Amino acid sequence: MIGRHPLFPKKRRREPPVPPRVETGRSRLLITGALFSAAFLVVTGRLIGVTMFVEKSQPQYSRTVGKAALITGRANIVDRNGNLLATSLKTASLYANPRVMLDAREAVNKLATVLPDLDRRQIYKKLTQDRSFIWLQRHLTPRQKHDVNKLGIPGLDFRDEERRVYPSAALASHILGHTDIDNRGLAGIERHFDQKLRENRSPLKLSIDVRVQHAMRKELATAVREFRGIGAAGIVMDVRNGEVISIVSLPDFDPNLPSNIDPDTRFNRATLGVYEMGSTFKIFTTAMALDTGRVSMQDGYDATHPIRIARFVIRDYHAKRRWLSVPEIFMYSSNIGSVKMAVDVGIAEQRAFLQKVGILHPSPVEISEIGAPLIPGRWREINAMTISFGHGLSISPMQLVAGVGAMINGGTYHAPTFLKKPPNSKSTGRRVISAKTSERVRRLLRLVVAKGTGGKAAAQGYLVGGKTGTAEKVVGRRYKKKALMSSFIGAFPMNAPRYVVFAMIDEPSGTKKTFGYATGGWVAAPVVGKVIARIGPLLGVRAVDEKAPEIVREMAIDIVTRKEGKRRLASF
Amino acid sequence: MIKRATLIWMFLATAAGIGLFVLKYEVKSMEGQLAAIHGKTVDNLEAVHVLKAEWSYLNQPARLEDLGRRLLNLEPVKATQTISIEDIPFRPVGAGNGVATNSSLTIHHPPAADQVPPLFAKIRRKQ
Repeated sequence: MIGRHPLFPKKRRREPPVPPRVETGRSRLLITGALFSAAFLVVTGRLIGVTMFVEKSQPQYSRTVGKAALITGRANIVDRNGNLLATSLKTASLYANPRVMLDAREAVNKLATVLPDLDRRQIYKKLTQDRSFIWLQRHLTPRQKHDVNKLGIPGLDFRDEERRVYPSAALASHILGHTDIDNRGLAGIERHFDQKLRENRSPLKLSIDVRVQHAMRKELATAVREFRGIGAAGIVMDVRNGEVISIVSLPDFDPNLPSNIDPDTRFNRATLGVYEMGSTFKIFTTAMALDTGRVSMQDGYDATHPIRIARFVIRDYHAKRRWLSVPEIFMYSSNIGSVKMAVDVGIAEQRAFLQKVGILHPSPVEISEIGAPLIPGRWREINAMTISFGHGLSISPMQLVAGVGAMINGGTYHAPTFLKKPPNSKSTGRRVISAKTSERVRRLLRLVVAKGTGGKAAAQGYLVGGKTGTAEKVVGRRYKKKALMSSFIGAFPMNAPRYVVFAMIDEPSGTKKTFGYATGGWVAAPVVGKVIARIGPLLGVRAVDEKAPEIVREMAIDIVTRKEGKRRLASF
Repeated sequence: MIKRATLIWMFLATAAGIGLFVLKYEVKSMEGQLAAIHGKTVDNLEAVHVLKAEWSYLNQPARLEDLGRRLLNLEPVKATQTISIEDIPFRPVGAGNGVATNSSLTIHHPPAADQVPPLFAKIRRKQ
């Protein structure tokens, strides 16, 4: 086609000379044509580029539709088995636009028929202001929303909001904490992990087990009722990795109703409260003395006479008035013996030891309510003496539980935690005493339950060991007589320890059944025993025959007694 | 000749235009369907979410314990009610698979390996 075109004549027609004007026209045409083809080439190239390759600068017209997912403003909190502890549910909140509202008085009267909690006068005042947005009531139930819609008042509308819901109510109130109306964490886990819960969508898995939590809470509540106490605390901790399986403080509150919480019930006795722990501290004193090697199980001290120092007199509660061996000192909870043991070890060593087992620092658990221990400013001999039997030093129950866990698990301190650890994570604890000492401490703790003051903590089949603790409460600068803090720290099974169980009752009163006693052995030990009997099967701890010869041999202790200068051996 | 070529091109252009038009509307309606399905999915997820909360509310251990005690006469398990698997005796040889047989008449022979449940087979091997 081109060949026939008058502008591109064939060569043979060139015979007559081509006039210069035609020559010029031709070359111009050629250049123009080349330019045009170049432009079209660019356009073609660009077209291919745009249609076939995606560029970053290009706006996205098509949405890439991913998985449909429910997005909540705050992640769920679940227990170690995945049971829901806290979640966010969508609710409707009612607001008004007063500028659009026709008759404020009528609107208030109508609203009051479906929302009886509304303060009519205040709402009326708000509705007559010249504003375009006011909250009337947050978080309506679906029924209330339906009723308000049916009223058909112009100027009212709903806004979707979220509300934090705790399906198990008060069961784990102190550890979970609660949120305010705008879903900001105000206490407990909710506060400590506020940022993480907002940003993360995957649920936060706690180490708590709701079944164990329930068993502990129920038994503590029963004891508080029976002994007319003013409060209680209880902890169950896995000694192998520091996971807290249950932590209870009574009285507790319903986190679903954050505005109705009684300030008294907010106080977390298990982590925030610091108390003189009393005789449970003798576990540390004895373990320390045995671990330094300065005292052996066959050694003993004369506990005939009370110790007088400065203006204090240190007496025994269950006084035997004779020489006592180390196991006897532990079993009869002799203050005199413990004091002499601590003095033998030395003041500096005692301080260093307590530092190692986490007694002198606030507990590292993941909530905001943590009490700092009350430590004497100058650690003198008198302090060392009273601390040896748990006075003159106040710590939180959580610190005690973590410390005792290290004494019985083979000698490794694990920082307590409220979060479940990944199943095959290696727990990095730090060694604080030798495995041999730990094994001796276990025998001593078993002895207390088998023969001593902690008999009521026994749970058949679970080889419970433990130590009682009773302290008079300090009010101001004085001890308040008759106001006791009775506790028991137990563990099971003593041949292969898995869990530490602690129970403490605040200001219990003795009953007829306890012959008027309100000490740890009468009040708190039964709680621990009952809790262990309930949670043992739940946690998969194998029950053993406590009278089987190999178990008896494993727990046996040679008790040296001295009577009139003679040494006798009695084996338990 | 020119006319035929032009006609073909015009036809192709029209066909492409109509095709594009149809495709576009089809995609649009499918997008609408997808959005509707997504909306429903989210609604269902929300319902599931609420039901999960309800489920854990109804599964509060305190409530279950109370229901168990009142309606089923159940109590917490005691240590004496548990037993370890090693303590379970094997079925006496020849007792059969629940079928009553007269042991004095049957010939005793251990069950073939493939008849032993795997769990017990493992224990038996250990012994």
